[in-house]
Amino acid sequence: MASYIGERVRRNEDARLLTGRALFVDDVQLPGMAHVAFLRSDHAHGRLRGVDVEDARRYPGVIAVFTAADLGDFWQPGPLLVPPPPVPGLEFHARTQVPLARDKVRHVGEPIAMVVAESRYVAEDALALIAVDVEPLGAVGDLEAALLPDAPKVHDELASNLAARVRQQKGDYDRARADADLVVSRRFVYDRGASAAIENRAVAAAWDPKSEELTIWDTTQAPIPIRNGLARLLGLLESQVNVIAPFVGGGFGPKIMMFYPEEVLVPWAARRLGRPLKWTEDRHENFGATTQERSQVHDAEIALTREGRILGVRDVFLHDNGAYNAYGLTVPINSQCTLLGMYRVPNYESEFKAVFTTRTQVTPVRGAGRQHGVFVMERLLDLAARELGIDRLELRRRNLLSPDEFPHNHEIIFQDFAPLTYDSGDYLPAFDEAAALIGYDRFYREEQPRLRAEGRRVGLGIVGYVEGTGIGPYEGARVTVEPSGLVRVATGVGTQGQGHFTAFAQLVADALGVDVEQVRVVTGDTREFHWGTGTFASRGAVVAGTACRSAALAVRDKVVALAARLLDAAPETIELEGGRARGRGRDDASLSLGELAARANPLRGAVTPGMEPGLEATAYFGPDRGNTANGVHAMIVEVDPETADVKILRYVVVHDCGRLINPLIVEGQIQGGVAHGIGNAFYEQLHYNEDGQLLNASLMDYLLPVATDVPDVEMAHRETPSPFNPSGLKGVGEAGCIATGALFAQAVEDALGHAVEIRGIPLSPDRLFHLMREARA
Amino acid sequence: MKVTGTFLFRGPREAVWDLLQDPAVLAKAMPGAERLERTEGDRFEGSMKVSLGPVTAARFTLVVELADKAAPERFAMRIDSQGPLGFTRGKALVELTPVDEGTMMSYSSDLQIGGRIAAVGQRVIDMAARMMTEKGLESLQKELDARLAGGSRA
Amino acid sequence: MKPAPFVYFRPASLDEALAHLAEVEGAKVLAGGQSLVPAMNFRIAQPAALVDINRVAGLSSIEARADGGLRIGGLVRHRALETSAEVARHAPLVAEAMPLVAHPPIRTRGTLGGSLAHADPAAELPAVMLALDATFTAVNRMRARTIAAADFFLGLYATALEPDEILTDIAIPPLPRGAGWAIDEFARRHGDYALAGAAAILVTDDRGTCTAARIGLMSAHDRPVLAAQAAARLVGHRLSPEALADAADTAAAVDADPSGDIHASADYRRHLVGVMVRRVLARAAARASGARP
Repeated sequence: MASYIGERVRRNEDARLLTGRALFVDDVQLPGMAHVAFLRSDHAHGRLRGVDVEDARRYPGVIAVFTAADLGDFWQPGPLLVPPPPVPGLEFHARTQVPLARDKVRHVGEPIAMVVAESRYVAEDALALIAVDVEPLGAVGDLEAALLPDAPKVHDELASNLAARVRQQKGDYDRARADADLVVSRRFVYDRGASAAIENRAVAAAWDPKSEELTIWDTTQAPIPIRNGLARLLGLLESQVNVIAPFVGGGFGPKIMMFYPEEVLVPWAARRLGRPLKWTEDRHENFGATTQERSQVHDAEIALTREGRILGVRDVFLHDNGAYNAYGLTVPINSQCTLLGMYRVPNYESEFKAVFTTRTQVTPVRGAGRQHGVFVMERLLDLAARELGIDRLELRRRNLLSPDEFPHNHEIIFQDFAPLTYDSGDYLPAFDEAAALIGYDRFYREEQPRLRAEGRRVGLGIVGYVEGTGIGPYEGARVTVEPSGLVRVATGVGTQGQGHFTAFAQLVADALGVDVEQVRVVTGDTREFHWGTGTFASRGAVVAGTACRSAALAVRDKVVALAARLLDAAPETIELEGGRARGRGRDDASLSLGELAARANPLRGAVTPGMEPGLEATAYFGPDRGNTANGVHAMIVEVDPETADVKILRYVVVHDCGRLINPLIVEGQIQGGVAHGIGNAFYEQLHYNEDGQLLNASLMDYLLPVATDVPDVEMAHRETPSPFNPSGLKGVGEAGCIATGALFAQAVEDALGHAVEIRGIPLSPDRLFHLMREARA
Repeated sequence: MKVTGTFLFRGPREAVWDLLQDPAVLAKAMPGAERLERTEGDRFEGSMKVSLGPVTAARFTLVVELADKAAPERFAMRIDSQGPLGFTRGKALVELTPVDEGTMMSYSSDLQIGGRIAAVGQRVIDMAARMMTEKGLESLQKELDARLAGGSRA
Repeated sequence: MKPAPFVYFRPASLDEALAHLAEVEGAKVLAGGQSLVPAMNFRIAQPAALVDINRVAGLSSIEARADGGLRIGGLVRHRALETSAEVARHAPLVAEAMPLVAHPPIRTRGTLGGSLAHADPAAELPAVMLALDATFTAVNRMRARTIAAADFFLGLYATALEPDEILTDIAIPPLPRGAGWAIDEFARRHGDYALAGAAAILVTDDRGTCTAARIGLMSAHDRPVLAAQAAARLVGHRLSPEALADAADTAAAVDADPSGDIHASADYRRHLVGVMVRRVLARAAARASGARP
């Protein structure tokens, strides 16, 4: 039987998306719907002395205005979404976001008041009538200054701005250092970025007093946890609350399950006012109200032998939490764990402090801290290669884990609370393939010398990384064969463009022997499936996909049993193909899956004990631990020495996410990830000033890379199956963006003949201009 | 944002000092200030309406407080303005030194600018601050000229 | 990001439009709206009224004049300039500039008069009009007057245009014999505000001596400016690479007075002005020498 696994199946969902027939939250229009706008803090940090909303309440068209004082018992800090992992000696202080600021404002963009009006226009008019009295307090931005005794405290009741301290180690770094021939140490800085999904967040809610049901349309990546949480907050049964995450225009992490203020207040107010409400975040709001990522400062060092063997790495870093830390330690733990990369590092010592600052909260954004670790490690290797006089590709080859070292336990705790264990991998061929594709040898033998003689500054970068993917806890799916012959798949994860409607359909179509277009996938609707977590951590295909497959296999068993009975054949002879079941060698007698579904749900006759009606099954999959994808990126850049601009001439990705379900979708993920990574490395930076003001809160000044800035990525796939799931899958969602910062730094340094040393990301022409000028001086 | 500079007034230091303590004059020196009235001692309140290119008729409340006065040598000025587009607050130090050609004023201000102006105006905010400072100083000199010529104080 | 309430007028004639402008306090002209409308959505612009001139007849033509110059209506869209054969023939500098102006959707809507009246110091068209020595016609209810480009840009977003005036015409003089032209800019992404840029016209005589030079600068000052000192160093000289480099250095060091922002510090911007002027002058000089008989 032909398999869909590994086929370049065109996406089932694209016809709807490309013709504008896909539902997004802002498309939801209900009779009597009113609109919501939020008054947000202009101050980074201040004591909130008063909020006067009387004029706003009197403005024609305003239905209600709420401040923290109006929320009563509903005012409470949001849930801690991810508790700290069980690392010995760990210190952690949880402070989660509040629905509306009450005593203090802690970042620009924090909501202070909520206006409900007949239109968004009127609601925004009313915002201008609200008077806020804020006593400014000092902003907290610089991560080192934030921990000094005289720093203003973001949370008054804590001893300091320290949110967490985590130390993990393996082996004995001090001894490794004493044995080393070379120790290289540097400070590296990675600054903030936004997720900048094309669709901002949006929430619509309607309370039906007759059915006593609350229906919420939400751009969340995790509708089921949001449903559960809102039911608890509102004192309703989970069955009274429906959360629908329809098509979502990009998630990238910040839409996971934040219980954002808007996400809890809009449903609350819809029920209280008895009016359907909608709030759609505008782009300006997004820059202060949606979570962000990245600021870290690392003091790192690597110890090696003169032959280039890594003896150990030490890294001490500061991580910017922003004002709250509802997502726990996921991001810095990812940085800490991903630093080890593809390499054999016998001794590792890593300590970080997470710091509260008066900036928007930090939660995972595509890559989720992994790029910081990769940047530090790859930069250290580049510096060491130069000091040792070893080719930087060769230095990496000498330290790669070999296939016989898997599963490889790094002995430290990962974000899924389990010891960081790589399931499988084969790294050397990946490096060699990337080097061959980019033409590493020829570049240095011919191209670079020739172009340099013409006065052109071209350079090459090559960088490897791993990506922990596919973590638990679990996902589920229900597969149903309907009498029409259509196969319905319902799963709890939301979808934000990942191609779930196709990849899941491929897995199910394979199990049931039906055409992939006959499989209709429903995601992100709590009315359809009750259990699950969400789409994040590159886990959709691995966890939900495997659940879909398991459910489909269970349905297959039912199909086979019923067909065997009806066809009077032995079950082991039943074959499923082309949407029909037939006995082997009996082409004359077959039944379509639709007929079987009808027969499985009879109008007369009993469902006998032990049998269930219909052709339907539900299954769950919960992996013990995540799996580790990997890849190698290589790039050739040209630097204009006059303008300090950087042009990407070629970009190569060799990628291994285990067994591929659909190379077309994987390539789309990688191309998109690379675009994201190029943005993070060279274009995107959230510029906060020392007063905590974000200076580029618009797409005029926050520079997303556009089509002309992102090359067509040349890709090759390698498939090292994961032993942790039956299909051998690993995740791919974040792969494209993890290596890019390190890659840019290496390639640009190479182009400039190593006259500059790049220790910070993002780069920009201005930054490069100043580095080049310092180098000349 | 820091704005520092010097400005040469063509006039004696005492005259410049008197000029700078007069709220009506200060209002003129702040482009867009509609009124500025003494509420108590050295505290003045008023409002301003800033128009600059695409920014039209942005309204702000304005509080100015003079402090640390050492006549006729130096004083500090606290500025606090806010409106729907954001806020400006900070402190300016002004020093007056007699020189041959008149009085040299050196000023250094450290202003926090917040809200929508800071968030979307970064490309022009430095230019705008420079321009508004220049305009303000020019109108102060005009006022000084008028006073020294015995003209109207209004 | 919804605008504050405003009154909307959509006059059919210029007279009617001018009457609204004269009578309604705080009214603004709406042409292409590519700068004004975003500013209104941010509520940093809250005009009491908009006078939408898009239906006003007679402002949208491009006419070649007998002397070889051009007369362009204030409401001519960027896209029309980009695709006009008359513009390509008579004002090739404008044609070369158009692909640098923002993005096609913006060019489809944005107008020449609107761009000039907005007077963004980073914009291409003000610098181009300075280099071309264009003349603008401004009309109010009482009279029409002409303003030279060099007298039009007064400061940050400040022009010689009065609140009751509409910029109706742009006159571009003919290119002299022996003229070369070029425009270039450096932007982070194609279509962004230039971090620095220059547009130049160089005129040479039969012996290759520069007889006139006009260099408009972008993002080099708080307003669109001419690099007058740089141009002065070229006139009367042959356009050797050394002379061009000297002029570029002068433009950066003397004519430019840039501010810094998050994309480019003032010193980097000043450096870029020099780079852009040198590149533009080299291309303009090559064209000038090619244009000589």
